[in-house]
Amino acid sequence: MRHPFINRFAAQSASTLTSHIRKRAKAAGKTLLMSSAAAVMALQAAAQDVTVVIDPIASESNLYWETEGAFMLPSLQGLVGNNPETGKYDTSGLAESWKANEDLTSWTFTLKPQAEFHDGWGPVTAEDVVHSFNLHIGDDSRLSGIGNLRDATVTAVDAQTVRFDLPAPQADFLFMLAGRGVLAIYSKAQFDAEGLEGYKTKPAGTSPLVYESSELGQGMTFSTAQDHWSGVDADYDTLSIRFVGEAATKLAMLLSHEADIVSLSRELQPQALDAGFEILASTQGASQTSMVFGALYTDPEGGELPTGLPWADVRVREAMNRALDRSQLLEVLYDGRAEALPVFTMDAQYEGYTPALADRFDADYGYDPERAMALLAEAGYPDAFGDPVIPIIVTSLPGNPEFPLISELAQAYFEAVGLQTEMREMDGASILSARRDRNAPWIMPVRNAPIRPAQVGLQVYFSKVNRPTAYVDDAQINSVFDELAASTDMAERDALASQIFTKLYDDYTHMPLAKIFAEVTVDPDTITGWTFPGSTSSGLSHFELIKTAE
Amino acid sequence: MKRYILIRLLESLAAIFVITVLVFALTHMSGSPVDALLPQDATQEQIDALVSAWGLDQSLPRQYLSFLGNALQGDFGDSLKWRGYSAMGVVADRLPQTLYLGGIAVAISVVVALPLGVMAAMRKGGKLDKAAQLFSLFGQSIPQFWFAILLIWFFAVALQLLPTSGSGSWQHVILPAIAMAWFQIAALSRLTRSAMLEVLDAEYVKLARVKGVSETRVVWVHALRNAAVVPLTYFGVLAGSVLTGSVTIETVFSWPGLGWVAIEAIRARDFPVVQAVVVIFALIYIVCNFLVDILNAYIDPRVRA
Repeated sequence: MRHPFINRFAAQSASTLTSHIRKRAKAAGKTLLMSSAAAVMALQAAAQDVTVVIDPIASESNLYWETEGAFMLPSLQGLVGNNPETGKYDTSGLAESWKANEDLTSWTFTLKPQAEFHDGWGPVTAEDVVHSFNLHIGDDSRLSGIGNLRDATVTAVDAQTVRFDLPAPQADFLFMLAGRGVLAIYSKAQFDAEGLEGYKTKPAGTSPLVYESSELGQGMTFSTAQDHWSGVDADYDTLSIRFVGEAATKLAMLLSHEADIVSLSRELQPQALDAGFEILASTQGASQTSMVFGALYTDPEGGELPTGLPWADVRVREAMNRALDRSQLLEVLYDGRAEALPVFTMDAQYEGYTPALADRFDADYGYDPERAMALLAEAGYPDAFGDPVIPIIVTSLPGNPEFPLISELAQAYFEAVGLQTEMREMDGASILSARRDRNAPWIMPVRNAPIRPAQVGLQVYFSKVNRPTAYVDDAQINSVFDELAASTDMAERDALASQIFTKLYDDYTHMPLAKIFAEVTVDPDTITGWTFPGSTSSGLSHFELIKTAE
Repeated sequence: MKRYILIRLLESLAAIFVITVLVFALTHMSGSPVDALLPQDATQEQIDALVSAWGLDQSLPRQYLSFLGNALQGDFGDSLKWRGYSAMGVVADRLPQTLYLGGIAVAISVVVALPLGVMAAMRKGGKLDKAAQLFSLFGQSIPQFWFAILLIWFFAVALQLLPTSGSGSWQHVILPAIAMAWFQIAALSRLTRSAMLEVLDAEYVKLARVKGVSETRVVWVHALRNAAVVPLTYFGVLAGSVLTGSVTIETVFSWPGLGWVAIEAIRARDFPVVQAVVVIFALIYIVCNFLVDILNAYIDPRVRA
């Protein structure tokens, strides 16, 4: 059996090869043989239906702004796209180009003139963008990150040009509009004719996949557009996305060949691999996992500071970090298919990445139980603390199946070096509720966070902007973050973000664990490849690039 | 009889009232839906808008009264998870699927369990009786979800005869209905057997035999009619079991019914839908038991005495 990474490589190679062949075939369109072969291939592939099985999504609606943004209908598009190989912003969305003013407060997008909505709703114009923006910032919007757009002003400069004017610089504005975006473009013409009901019934999108129907809680179906304006044609007929929550049922669907692609929990992947199925992973890291110290607040501006927490002492935090055998953890949790993470929210794709921290990681955070015990003794643990017991939260969140195991393993490691712990079961909403009340004094795995630009990630987890739910509230970090948010100089931003990451690292403010890839298990008899960058919240995107067996 | 019906009706209404209080209290004790529905980086504006829109800023008694008043009109508010649907709309949309599945499961239970129980009683101590008892033991001991997964594994994965999950064709209903009926068959056949054993020893049965009535008629008409009171009483419990069982079975088989909705709504803290589902479940359960009580009283005058 091939290693999954080899499978992934093979799948990507096949995908690249197919793409290469197509390009060559296009270039040498006069070559009869190639054209005939392509025609035969197209005909053979034309009758394919692809079934993808994923977990039920948190909130279902064809009105994207009424969801948290965890799953955008594959038929909809934003202005900016993500390259499937590199994850970088590209022009695979609705805009063919964009530019920002010097202080990054005004962003102008030029729409692709050939872009048009499905079902005859006409070309995509600046008015559609303005209309969609207004819908997305309404009172009923629940989108994560929409706060960054609320105060923007959007102007249709002309039919193909739209300008966003922002009250403050936003260096990561493209991120808001790309794969994990907060703005899906809907047709104004459809709205004028059918109102919201039209969107609820059959929202016209613009991608190579055309929305056909959905069944409450069960899934949705898309057909593929023929001769799509983007030049991208999916090589299958229909795409069915089914929502199935029970892991064993998902595995059964794969084994019985009812499903072609299944988002399978890692515990069940070995069974699928043994049966000859394969794993495809995102080309780029999709999310990061870490354990956090709750209520690590030291900035008095944020409110009352917690007292008596053992992990308020940096020596205890370092000891806890050194108690973790990360290589074993990653092996158990992710079957080794994950990368070590030096700082949560830092990633090489984005600004502030500091290679030195990755280089020093083993020396500073490496598994060393003796050093951990020495640090605890130095800190006077447990006698120096009123309540030395460290609560560890056990929770299960959709999309984070490994959380209970992380907590259990961490407890074993902590107790091995003499830390006193207790497990507490809580559901995700109660945890968030406690954090909103600034009353979360415990250790817990943090939600698998999509990899985001430095400022966005830091803002959510480590800055005063996200009080009271940020995990760290530190005056020095807050100050540097303010500078980062205000800066429009890319070199300076890079240095500032690096400064924050270094501070987070040096202070052992959390227990970074892994950078992980979005994975799906596929039936190799029907699916030969799928290149997706892992840049959306669910990790899945670019459904039109699913390659089916011929 | 009228007095009996009136008393049972009042008891049922009281039960419904208590259930509404419990449902309301429990769903609110589990925390605010704001934390389940909004992302952690939600702005205060977003939080305030949601709190205001759902009346979560009002006092609990006020929220309850508002809930009760609306519930009486079938209005449980809008679903927080399935946006664009009312809670009752979601329930109404999914209820037929649960009734369909439950109905088939009950039919299978009755068709299999009654003859099995009767024949086991007729051949007390024989091979069939022992086999039926073994079946009952397994039926009541094996967890429903585990049995459901076994069925999927055998019939859908190994043999590939039936679909693993979902709905849409008659093939889809077979495995979930069997999984749901399994426990009921075990329980109902045991009850029928013991009731039949009691009746088959009764004087009037012996008299019928002495009179030369055929054994088939003695067993299936005279004895079963009298023994039927016990399984009939169990029907109230059966209805409840089918509804609660639907939560497990529908989740495993991804069957788009009310049980599945209940689980998803609980996960999403979709208060309105959870409340609507539980109240509807309770109503069905209470109505079934009410009807069974009336039937019992009708069949057995001692009950209404």
